[in-house]
Amino acid sequence: MLIFSLETWHITFFSLAVGLASTLLILPFGIALAWIFARKEWPLKSAVETIVLLPLVMPPVSTGLILLKIFGRRSPLGQWLYDRGVEIVFNWKGVLIAMAVMSFPLLVRSVRTSFAEVNPRLEQIAATLGASALRIFFVITVPLAYRGIIAGLLLAFARALGEFGATILLAGNIPGKTQTLSLAIFSFVQLGKDPEAYTLLGITVILAFASVWCSEWLLKTEKRI
Amino acid sequence: MHLRCQIPLAPFELDIDASFDARVTAMFGPSGSGKTTLLDAIAGLKEIAAGEIEIGGRVLYSSSQKINLSPQQRAIGYVPQETALFPNLSVRKNILFGASRKTNSNSKAAITLEHVAELLEINHLLNRWTLTLSGGESQRVALARALLSRPELLLLDEPLASLDVALKEKIIPYLRRVRDEFAVPIIYVTHDPVEVLSLADWVIVIHRGRLVSQGIAREVLMSRPVFADLEEDQVENVFRVRFVDSEPQAGRSRTLLDSGQELFIPYMTEPKHRSLQIRIRGDEILIATKRPEAISAGNILRGIVAGLEVVGGEAVLKIDAGDIFYARLTSSAVQRLGLAPGREVFMIIKTRSCIPL
Amino acid sequence: MQNAQKRNAKMKNSLSLLFVFLLLFVVRAQTSAHADEILVAAAASLTDVLREIENNYQYRSKNKIIFTFGPSSTLARQIEEGAPVDIFFSADLAQMDSLEKNGRLEPGTRRNLLSNQLVLIVPTNSKLAIVSPKDLLKAEVKKIALADPAAVPVGVYASKYLMDEGLWDKVKTKVVPVLDVRATLASVESGNVEAGFVYKTDAAISKKVKVVYEVPVDKGPRITYPVAIVKESKRKEAARDFMNFVLSPAGKEAFKKYGFVVVE
Repeated sequence: MLIFSLETWHITFFSLAVGLASTLLILPFGIALAWIFARKEWPLKSAVETIVLLPLVMPPVSTGLILLKIFGRRSPLGQWLYDRGVEIVFNWKGVLIAMAVMSFPLLVRSVRTSFAEVNPRLEQIAATLGASALRIFFVITVPLAYRGIIAGLLLAFARALGEFGATILLAGNIPGKTQTLSLAIFSFVQLGKDPEAYTLLGITVILAFASVWCSEWLLKTEKRI
Repeated sequence: MHLRCQIPLAPFELDIDASFDARVTAMFGPSGSGKTTLLDAIAGLKEIAAGEIEIGGRVLYSSSQKINLSPQQRAIGYVPQETALFPNLSVRKNILFGASRKTNSNSKAAITLEHVAELLEINHLLNRWTLTLSGGESQRVALARALLSRPELLLLDEPLASLDVALKEKIIPYLRRVRDEFAVPIIYVTHDPVEVLSLADWVIVIHRGRLVSQGIAREVLMSRPVFADLEEDQVENVFRVRFVDSEPQAGRSRTLLDSGQELFIPYMTEPKHRSLQIRIRGDEILIATKRPEAISAGNILRGIVAGLEVVGGEAVLKIDAGDIFYARLTSSAVQRLGLAPGREVFMIIKTRSCIPL
Repeated sequence: MQNAQKRNAKMKNSLSLLFVFLLLFVVRAQTSAHADEILVAAAASLTDVLREIENNYQYRSKNKIIFTFGPSSTLARQIEEGAPVDIFFSADLAQMDSLEKNGRLEPGTRRNLLSNQLVLIVPTNSKLAIVSPKDLLKAEVKKIALADPAAVPVGVYASKYLMDEGLWDKVKTKVVPVLDVRATLASVESGNVEAGFVYKTDAAISKKVKVVYEVPVDKGPRITYPVAIVKESKRKEAARDFMNFVLSPAGKEAFKKYGFVVVE
């Protein structure tokens, strides 16, 4: 009933690889932004927060459309990249960007909560003791928030694996080149090839389950300091 | 040190203008009067609307000159009320956290981990984790951490607030040692007059964000505007005495007050330092207008009433017996005895009422 | 005139094929370095047939064909935005027309190659007596599944057909618009609807539906699958090569085998 072909493994590994790359890509930006959201205030803060959260609430296809407009050859950015030999549309890079954009808000939200739970007094005292902002961040804040950071990364990874709408618009559904687990499942369903679809579905469920379960476990064991 | 600042602070504004120059300056006042905010402002952790902060010639903040040093640059050691020890670092790493800072500190003794650990008796804690420490231990570690950053000013925010009385009395000597060993000026926030009297040379009193009074600790504390705010049993006396000898059979030890008078305290073995601090609660001093005879109390001291403050049904009597004492009486007692400034009185103090700090 | 063109095209195709054969035999050893990779964007319903054609093509050319399958509207949009597609195989005319209007197609390469047959399907275990579209008027037929009649080609064609037959007004209240062909099949399979319209090639996907009526090709709507080379393609030679193979008798056989109607 289940089909484990070479194609199956290729799709799985491709999805895992790009999912991992996408998560690593958003890691520094997500953490930095989460810290800024947790600690700083400024006039247009709500506007920025909303923009960052948009991919979470907008239909993924809409986000995909926006990305297509931004990175397509017709746009200034797309043209600029194309001239330098960098193709985003219909390419694994497109998959990467679609995954990154869609999972970014989840990472920021998770990490932001963890940072907010770190007692600011600790950071303040560290400052009075002469520690630079960077030192405070890496020696005090991050170690105290690491559980939430990892939980956020796992959640973002799971989201990246499940990403569909934006991916199909930006990177297309090219078997062997940009076809992820989600896209493949869709294709197989469309063609009535249920055994293949169920196989990939099973794999997806296992991966997503593992990621989210670990993420939740980490959050539960995080102590309030 | 010169401190002037205005900070908007709900529900009132903090507006302070004070100058002082003492080893230990106490910041005294009821909770919620803005003392912690003031410390935060001095440390650079709180925004100030306008003002100046200057310590020993160094300007830390000046709205007119547009100077605002970051907390890192202010060379201030801060021991906050909740100690704020870093839970992910060991005690040793906590203490050494700020040790690498280069400052031109002019402390008498070189501040090293060994020295401080010995002084505060925390050597055995160095490899422990901060969450396993008791309240008193945390305080000492936080103090050590602040010291090792070679500060030019120490800020202590109610360091003994969360400790029980017995523990408090144990830690005050440590604080005194710190005061004596290192030439770092200290600002000490508290709402407990005993701490003020036993540690501070100078006190500034803050009430609802305003400077109410400042001056030498004893005088300020017992003055009327301050007294009105005090809680029930807070008329306190703290004296420095010199240990003379002990009489084990009699269950007491003999000490000498500054004025040369004898004061008997409960028996104690000969202390390491001859100089002690003794605390006597104001309502444990009985007043008589005639020298009593055949009475159990171990101390009878003669003095002249130097001041009298009556607030409702309570009265505080200031007695000059060579040393200044403050006793608390009911106003009916004052009336009955016809007490008034200039009157000769005798203070009756049980041996047990004299508590070494 | 058209016959002449057809004959011409046929000749051109055969000649091109011959040319390709010769080229291959002559240049085979060297072509690995010059093998092109061309991207064909095609409607999902063409997946299986195009894969078979590509399989056959592999024996004749070192060019590599990669596909991206999806809804024609999405593909057209992506091509519009400059996606690196070489050949576009659409499931309806509207998408191709709009690309042509915007100058995105290589002139002279467009072919209205395929057609399909509209069929009426019911669940395999249906007890209702439905043998023609008129039976949809019966009261026992409560719901009819149609892939979004406003946007999806098969839905558009089906609704137009019903309109032409004068049935649309009476059945449109029964119509349940669903996402796409697959959703149409799924809803008929489940018995949630009593009937649905799909292409003949789609009906073959599911074993739980049966075709009760095939709309005659000449009476039904003119379903057209156009194919064209994209103007911005960087590998036009290779694209033409593959296109010619698709248009060749071998290609057409494959389409017929999968149930498509070959127009040209």
